[in-house]
Amino acid sequence: MGDSKKTRTFDAIVIGSGMSGGWAAKEFCEKGLKTLVLERGRDVVQPKDFTTTNMMPWEFKHRGEIPYDIQKANPVVSRCYAFREDAQQFFVKDTEHPYIQDKPFDWIRGYQVGGKSIMWARQTQRWSDFDFEGPARDGYAVDWPIRYNDIAPWYSYVEKFAGISGNKDGLPNLPDGEFLPPLELTCVENYFKDFVAKNYKDRNVIYGRCAHLTQPKQIHLDQGRSQCQNRSLCQRGCPFGGYFNANSTTIPWAEKTGNMTLRPFSVVHSIIYDDEKGKAVGVHVIDANTKESVEYYAPVIFVNAGAYNSNLLLLNSKSKRFPNGLGNDNGILGKYAAFHNYRASIRAKYDGFQDTKSEGGRRPTSAYMPRFRNLYKQETDFLRGYALTFYSDRWNYNDNSGFGEHLKNNLLKEPTLGPWGVGSGMMGETIPKETNFLSLDTEKKDDWGVPLLKINISYDDNDEKMIKDFFEQMTEMYTKAGFTDIQTNDSKQAPGLDIHHMGGVRMGKDPKTSLLNKWHQFHNCPNVFVTDGACMTSTSTQNPSLTFMAMTARAANYAVEQLKKREI
Amino acid sequence: MDRRSSIKTLLIISAGTAILPSCLQEEKKPSVSVKNFKISGNDEDIISAVSDTIIPQGKTPGAKDVGAYQYALMMMDDCYSPENQQKFTKGLKDFQDFSKKTINKSFSKATPAERNEVLNAIESKKNIPENVAFFYGTMKRLTLDAFTQSKYYLTKVQVYELVPGKFYGCVPVKKAS
Repeated sequence: MGDSKKTRTFDAIVIGSGMSGGWAAKEFCEKGLKTLVLERGRDVVQPKDFTTTNMMPWEFKHRGEIPYDIQKANPVVSRCYAFREDAQQFFVKDTEHPYIQDKPFDWIRGYQVGGKSIMWARQTQRWSDFDFEGPARDGYAVDWPIRYNDIAPWYSYVEKFAGISGNKDGLPNLPDGEFLPPLELTCVENYFKDFVAKNYKDRNVIYGRCAHLTQPKQIHLDQGRSQCQNRSLCQRGCPFGGYFNANSTTIPWAEKTGNMTLRPFSVVHSIIYDDEKGKAVGVHVIDANTKESVEYYAPVIFVNAGAYNSNLLLLNSKSKRFPNGLGNDNGILGKYAAFHNYRASIRAKYDGFQDTKSEGGRRPTSAYMPRFRNLYKQETDFLRGYALTFYSDRWNYNDNSGFGEHLKNNLLKEPTLGPWGVGSGMMGETIPKETNFLSLDTEKKDDWGVPLLKINISYDDNDEKMIKDFFEQMTEMYTKAGFTDIQTNDSKQAPGLDIHHMGGVRMGKDPKTSLLNKWHQFHNCPNVFVTDGACMTSTSTQNPSLTFMAMTARAANYAVEQLKKREI
Repeated sequence: MDRRSSIKTLLIISAGTAILPSCLQEEKKPSVSVKNFKISGNDEDIISAVSDTIIPQGKTPGAKDVGAYQYALMMMDDCYSPENQQKFTKGLKDFQDFSKKTINKSFSKATPAERNEVLNAIESKKNIPENVAFFYGTMKRLTLDAFTQSKYYLTKVQVYELVPGKFYGCVPVKKAS
């Protein structure tokens, strides 16, 4: 590494290389900006670092299970459904990067190039104005400074490149996108879709929209990707590039331009604010391995460290001008953090369609119901609503009673097809509140000298009421549809396990009540942009990654224009 | 260890074995090593016999051919809590007592018919000590896992498709392959 300041100066710095950071890197590099991408973890190059991707079930020593001592030492990450033997290498272990839970919060993280985009659940729905106008209509948080029309072209832009499968459904509350063909529904899902359409106004069951290449286009082939093979082993990284992750798409695309400098093992300690120049000038990095301090400089800095880590490094970016963290004149940095409520689920049996089944691939999505509660008017005793999945499947099983020849013969037989099972999981909007906040511990620091993050986030009465309503509405719909053996379940899981971490650095129109403007710039430090989950003013009921991607592409292109005009 | 000294050690061991009372011969070492609990070679024989009785060898592979009891011990060692490991080893001891009571001899030395008699008694669920039920239930689950997730089973019986390709949402059952 050169040590002169010039070699450490770039046109743009992107902090983070995951879902949103990859997009910032791609946009900047394509526009010709020499871009430094900082990643605190190791590099993960596809396909060589997708080490488990072609392993057979019997090749995993514990057949997928995580050993007891690892689970015991790492209770938080062990609660994540995808933390299994095949993908554990992509998850942060509790012991490696501690944080402080003022209230229980399962902070699931992935520290590597690509971040959590390697292991995400890949469901991608657009927001609509029912979402962007929510806070203003219902009187919570602050009004979003953008509307659907601002972001719509950027949804299209990222969808075309990422490859999103879906069906054009023409729903006002879930705008259509640039879709590759949808994945099929099962007979029972099609039945429920028709049933809901006939029996409920403004309720719809649709094909899940997901970031899978059901029919790759030239742009995807140009990325070196090919058709999704329905392996449903996505959390290992995909040898086909069948789904979107930064490692197969945005990062190599940025790399190809020759404009990207990717620096793994770079822990960003803070953003450097120059009090004389009155702007941010660079970042203070600690090398993760050597613990050496290095400073890098650029006229524009994008913060994409993952929502709560973005909060952490901004709170830790203290200067004479900003003694309480970058841009934090109003004291709300770290506050109004939010997430999605994933506690509630329901399942049942269905006796119909005994002469049909699904077969072939393992489908990487399900059917989906967009929010129907409180959509056009307030109709319940809680604010907002929830979206939900709907899936159905028939399990193959072999009689495993007894032992000996009897058991063995049964195991060697053609399996029996079980009845249809159906189920739904809730994704509830949570209301961002001042009392749900992130802060820095005043004493404890990590191995790199960065204060530990304290998380103070919990459910509220609105969330409890929403769960109750989900159970009531779903039980009613399931019963009317003829499903039987209905069982509801409240997992009581802590916030965070949804892995939809949002807020803390919210956007808004007014610098007194928000931190970022409509272009994701700090109101009072406009050459720093935050475009990951941290910027979210409210949470809506859509899986958020697609929105982070669109927001990042939009903001990055704006930043390039502003740089050209010498406005920042 | 060089060849000469290993021969010496061997001689000492065999000499020792020759003069030891026969009951102590039972303390032979297991061939599988576990870190978190203790088993003897005798225990290993019993565990192996239980696993082989659950899914016997025959014209087609059984538990023995997929290394089921070694897998069971490895999983017990790596993936079970200390409490469950204790329950398992206690259950193993109680299982031996239960076998002796039922067929009047050690399970590992029993004939296939006698082994079936012991497991049938446990399967009947009548007056079975809790630890014995736990030991047997765990052995059965782990043996089933070892068997149904073995290379043999997933390539020859129910073929696992690493790359299955197209998903068909709604097809008639008749067309099942």
